[in-house]
Amino acid sequence: MGRPVPHTDVMVILMGAPHESDQTTSVLRLLQAMLERGGRVQVWTCGYATHLTRQALGAAKQRNIASWTTSYPSTATLVQDLLAAFPDQLYWYGCQFCSDDRGVHDHVPEVILRRPSSFAANSAATGKTLMVGVI
Amino acid sequence: MHKPPDLPPAAPDPSPAAPDPSPAAPERPQVLAIVERAYRGAVEKQFVDALYLALELHRRLGGIDILLRGQAVTYAARDARVPPLRLGNRVVETLTDPRGDVRRLLDAGVRVYAEEPGLAAYGMDGEGRLLDQVRPMSADEAAARWSTYRMVCFL
Repeated sequence: MGRPVPHTDVMVILMGAPHESDQTTSVLRLLQAMLERGGRVQVWTCGYATHLTRQALGAAKQRNIASWTTSYPSTATLVQDLLAAFPDQLYWYGCQFCSDDRGVHDHVPEVILRRPSSFAANSAATGKTLMVGVI
Repeated sequence: MHKPPDLPPAAPDPSPAAPDPSPAAPERPQVLAIVERAYRGAVEKQFVDALYLALELHRRLGGIDILLRGQAVTYAARDARVPPLRLGNRVVETLTDPRGDVRRLLDAGVRVYAEEPGLAAYGMDGEGRLLDQVRPMSADEAAARWSTYRMVCFL
């Protein structure tokens, strides 16, 4: 028996790679807006989107030589913040296959890794599915 | 009869009018950097965007000119602001700020141009829409300038 998947209102399948467009920014804004309205949301990352939650990113980005004391949170930290702020509303899944394919073996512990064969269970446990980007 | 040995070539005239064999840096930048893909990850990149790199290239390549093209012309929009972003209980105020980047480049002496078709497409061809010192340039002139640079690159 696989892990039960809590039912959510919306499932966001995030496939697009970070650092290419403002897609990640838009998705995080969308998540925040839905969660603030009480929505329950699950995110499933595929492809390079799995890099967003790497522990190797650290809590903050590297130092900015032009602004030495400013701290810039990493995407892993921002996802952790979201999960901490909305503990019973937001779930973050990472595709095991894509993570293996791209060398992402160090997700932050809040991320639940799922094999592609489990995808149907997640898809069945949501009201609406939104697919963002392509692998 | 022996032919006399060839004389070495005459030494160059050391007169003050002779050109300096090691001229100073060229008067105008030798590199044109074109930015035409805009908004590539405000959350992921934050300060580490293409214009942050451009400032380093300016320092290390002896000066660059920048041409903003397409959507990237909005990087020079005078009145644009980057709002803070609330995520969870955190307010992120360190998102990429292209206008700030352009201002820093201008302060460092970089010449920044904005291509006119992009300005028209994004409603920025009116008076006072651009940051001071950012100069509009026609597409024809931008293309004609390529041959005047040693290097043209896309950032």
